[in-house]
Amino acid sequence: MSDENEHLDKLMQELRRGTITIGVLSQLSNPQYGYSLVTMLAEKGIQVEPGTLYPLLRRLEKQGLLDSKWDTNEARPRKYYLLSETGKSVYDLLVVEWKSIVESLNHVIENKGDDENGAD
Amino acid sequence: MELIERYIYAVTQKIRQEQREDIAKELRGLIEDMLEERVGSRDISDKDVEEVLLELGTPRKLADKYRGAKKYLIGPELFDSYLIVLKIVLVTVASILGVIFVVQTILDPVLILDHFVDLIVSTVTGIPMAFAWTTFGFALPEYLGAYKMKDIQIDAEWSPADLAPIPDEKRQIKRGESIAGIIFYAVFIVILAFSSDYFGVWVFNDGFSGVVPFLNERTYGMYLLFILLIFGFGIIKECLKLVSGKWTYKLAGYTLILNAISMAVILLMVNGPTFWNPDFMNELAQAGVVTAGSEGYEVGQKIWEQSTFWIFVLLVIGLIWDAVDGFIRARKK
Repeated sequence: MSDENEHLDKLMQELRRGTITIGVLSQLSNPQYGYSLVTMLAEKGIQVEPGTLYPLLRRLEKQGLLDSKWDTNEARPRKYYLLSETGKSVYDLLVVEWKSIVESLNHVIENKGDDENGAD
Repeated sequence: MELIERYIYAVTQKIRQEQREDIAKELRGLIEDMLEERVGSRDISDKDVEEVLLELGTPRKLADKYRGAKKYLIGPELFDSYLIVLKIVLVTVASILGVIFVVQTILDPVLILDHFVDLIVSTVTGIPMAFAWTTFGFALPEYLGAYKMKDIQIDAEWSPADLAPIPDEKRQIKRGESIAGIIFYAVFIVILAFSSDYFGVWVFNDGFSGVVPFLNERTYGMYLLFILLIFGFGIIKECLKLVSGKWTYKLAGYTLILNAISMAVILLMVNGPTFWNPDFMNELAQAGVVTAGSEGYEVGQKIWEQSTFWIFVLLVIGLIWDAVDGFIRARKK
């Protein structure tokens, strides 16, 4: 039983890794700082640990998908991230890809029984 | 609050220099945000801090995420030090070879072509050798370190209380000292390896007419290996210091081991066939620097005997002090 959970954990981790990126990009049409993004995504049902999100934001910024800016006017200095021009177009392409993945997978999962019948 | 600073320090220490400050600032903000959400309006307790840090995970894991995948011969943790050492070593070797060429040419201008060929040969062999050994010296601990961590699974049990305190000023090792040390050792290695013939008293009679060597040319080949070993250990020691950044018992232990081996080698040299040139004074007399039997000759003889003896003694004292000093500094909180 715990063996199954272990497998599930590992697979879910891999699965989430990519989807989190889409989730993050989707929320950054307006500038956000790391922790506000954690809360925002959590409210929408996407759980992401800060320890994962913060390095991810930095990586996306380094790749040029995000722009960042420090806001030092508030009591606590915060680094705000925002989609760059490249990030915007990459996000749009990514959404298309994602939808096609969902469609294909749905198709595979829903039609599993049919195929088996057909093979008989 | 002290715990937060320790946590941030532990994470950023493992991250490339250029990103450290920015990540530290962002991380501090994050931890404060997380604390604020956790406690609301009541005061923050140490327990809250611990819980938040536990939620963030071990500093090593977080730093790993910041760094991305771990596929390298020499990782980011060591890479900065590696680059520094590599630059020092290459610059030192190259400049010494250059100096040797210039000196040889000044002393023997007729043979400039030969000297130039020597320069090319020693550059072609020396530079890649220096590069390879430096790389090897860093790749080995990287490999061993990674291997050990996988084995022991340090990360399994972790609590914020385990965070090491930020080292005291007196325990920290200044980069400049290590760098100066490495250059010093490298200069000596190159001089002794490539131009021992010039390591002695230069005699000028109407221009340069030869060198009375300090070292015994007959036993020199054998001792060169020993010397390289001692100075090589010196360089390894300085590299360890550079990487560690602070005195620890482990570092002091390594220093002790390396120094003990060096000392054993020195004792071997003292007891073995003569290391120094046994005919030094005679050759000086022959070269016309001093007159045999004169008062100056006697004084020179005494100075020569005493200094060759005391050099060994001072070396041994230096090695002992170096090891003891390491432990004293490691003890400081």
